[in-house]
Amino acid sequence: MAQQAVAQERLCALRQDIARIEGRPAERLEQADADVTVLRRSGMATRSEDLIVTGVEAFDGVLGGGVPKGALSEIHGKQTRDAGAAAGFALALCALAMKREAPRSLLWVGTAEIFHEAGLPYAGGLEQAFGLSPDRLLFAAPPKPADALWIAEDATRLGALAAIIVELRGNSDRLDLTATRRLHHRAAVAGRPIFLLRQAAFCEPTAAPLRLVVSPAPATKRETLDGPLEGTIGNPVFSVSPDKNRTARQGQFLLEWNRHDIAFQQHQTAHPRRLVSLSRNGADLAPAPGAVVALDKAAQYAAAGGEPARKQHAAHLGARRTG
Amino acid sequence: MVSRHESNTQRISALDERAETLRLKRGMGLADARAIHPDVDVVEADPNADRRLLDALADWCDRYTPLVAINGNDGLFLDITGCAHLFGGETKMIADLRRRLAEQGFDARAGLAATPGMAWAAARFGLRPVAAGAEAEALAGLPLAALRLEPATRMGLESVGLRTAGAIIDAPRAPLARRFGSGLILKLDQALGMAEETISPRLPVAPLSAERHLAEPVFLTEDIERLLAMLASSLKQDLERRGEGARRLQLALFRVDGAVTRIGIGTSRPMREPKPLCRLFHEKLAAMEDNIDAGFGFDLVRLAVLATARFEEEQGDLSGADADADEDIALFADRVRARLGNTAILQPEPVQSHVPERAVALRSFADARPASAGSALSELTLPERPIRLFGRPQPIEVTAEIPEGPPARFRWRRALYNVAGAEGPERIAPEWWLGEEGERTRDYYRVEDTEGRRYWLYREGFYGVAEEPPRWFVQGIFA
Repeated sequence: MAQQAVAQERLCALRQDIARIEGRPAERLEQADADVTVLRRSGMATRSEDLIVTGVEAFDGVLGGGVPKGALSEIHGKQTRDAGAAAGFALALCALAMKREAPRSLLWVGTAEIFHEAGLPYAGGLEQAFGLSPDRLLFAAPPKPADALWIAEDATRLGALAAIIVELRGNSDRLDLTATRRLHHRAAVAGRPIFLLRQAAFCEPTAAPLRLVVSPAPATKRETLDGPLEGTIGNPVFSVSPDKNRTARQGQFLLEWNRHDIAFQQHQTAHPRRLVSLSRNGADLAPAPGAVVALDKAAQYAAAGGEPARKQHAAHLGARRTG
Repeated sequence: MVSRHESNTQRISALDERAETLRLKRGMGLADARAIHPDVDVVEADPNADRRLLDALADWCDRYTPLVAINGNDGLFLDITGCAHLFGGETKMIADLRRRLAEQGFDARAGLAATPGMAWAAARFGLRPVAAGAEAEALAGLPLAALRLEPATRMGLESVGLRTAGAIIDAPRAPLARRFGSGLILKLDQALGMAEETISPRLPVAPLSAERHLAEPVFLTEDIERLLAMLASSLKQDLERRGEGARRLQLALFRVDGAVTRIGIGTSRPMREPKPLCRLFHEKLAAMEDNIDAGFGFDLVRLAVLATARFEEEQGDLSGADADADEDIALFADRVRARLGNTAILQPEPVQSHVPERAVALRSFADARPASAGSALSELTLPERPIRLFGRPQPIEVTAEIPEGPPARFRWRRALYNVAGAEGPERIAPEWWLGEEGERTRDYYRVEDTEGRRYWLYREGFYGVAEEPPRWFVQGIFA
């Protein structure tokens, strides 16, 4: 019996070592407690206070409990016009993080470019939709991405901030592994989330442990006593899929934001929109970055399902000279 | 030689020593000069450039006294009251001024006296420093030009045989005033020190400043920052004595060859600690690195406090957490502003207005606001507002039911959007009491396209009412 216990302990220690070497810390310990304990890279056990729990179980499960608090998280919007949805999701996470705390501020750093393209934050709407009062909001609009990163790095030390959003458009040379690693490290030391909101950028390697791709989804209808009212726009819905994740699990989730409770809830898919579920293990490769510009003629022909062009016939089938 | 266009002819306005040896004079016609010496070099006068040079020179003279005023087109007044001992006395100060100006290539004349009028005369007529009370003697032998008189007055006086200042000083005053106006008497009194004359300095005098003269010029930013730390700590004591903190500071770097670079920073709240002040200047210097030309180095560094405010001493609680939080944010905002300009950090402020773009003003962090008790936004139960608002509403092409239907599809930024659902209209009339003409009533719609993006569109004006058809805009986007 004692031997078995020692063996268990060694096994556990070995697993921890492997996890540390691989930098894959999300290993659960089987415990009877409801409070899930997750091991961090440093081997320190973290509790659910260090996570932003969205409250949608399926989504939290895939993320290994929730969105990490002391970390850099990337949130992607595929196009600039999806900026509303991506920013909305990031703000919702901020609102969740700030919900049960003493009032602290939120800093939103965006380059002048993205604020021009997608609009400046509007305090009136932020208060209505996320309960963020105007005196707890700070905006910074530096001209260049490098300045935005500098501001975010400098701001991480401040105890008076609850969360930082850094919004950039497109792919920038400045946002490489080094820069994101610095941000992530600072966030981890401070224990505050930094959300890297990236509009119209393709996914590239960064040091952020979590990358979520957010796209808009049709909102719910307004609820009345009679049931949902047609032709109305109710709670916003976000379609979120983790692109990079510590648990390496994928999926696509529809999260509905309830602005009255300041909480997410599972979206009841009442509308007839079909969603193709992604493979659970992430077997399919990510699409190559960049845009498809044009197809060459031969490929078009082949795609049309017709006969291959003359040039494309196998060589041995061609006319042969005898002799 | 420099020429100037004056009453329809080109005249010589300034000339160098070599031209003087050729017996050319100021005020001579250019044609006459050319007739005598056909090969003189003539340059067109550029009053603006002269003015800029004089300004720069006045800037440089700041090293002797903060009270520097520009006099006419070719003179500077320096009020050196209480400053001379810093340079080892008045004579040494004048010698130093002369030497440094000569090193920069200026041929300057300096005069020193107890009144501006006398100093003016002393500088122009080459007198030795005039002691207070000795003005009448010094003036006695000088021509009337030493009194800064109007040309007409001077001509009048000369025509009656009064050719020196001494003649006027002794003459009875009443007839003089009656004949030539009180201006003459005033100028005379000012020169003699019997009437007060103030010189108006170019720059406001800083309440506090500290400076360091360097025997060896410095070039490196690190050296400047080290000096800055020393100056800031000496200023701290002065600020403490006054019970104040600095709100605006200026670092002046005096280059050896006369150029002066001024670097200003602002703070969100009164500050006296040298360390954070140095950090602010560090950011500013980092941002300005390319714009500061050290040249042959700086030989005088001055840190001046331009604006101060009462420094509230606060007793923190034992944990010391709460008080620091606000302080930290203010310091952070100052650093960002020092580096990226005053509008780099913004804070929203609710304004009493129902026009959406006016309802929230974005203020620079530094502009202190009274603590608002509960925002005006939450008191009203408004229909939903977008989370992002465009700086300027963007025009769109819309297909909508006439006269008052919601949009069915719209084209924005060259892309077509089909509307799946719409809420509205919410009618917002212009604020006529602000008296802005030309604004039209807006009907706002919340609109969702088929992919789930939500927009805030509005129609400006009505169909079929005015001659001008209504226009549609997208103003914001929802989460």
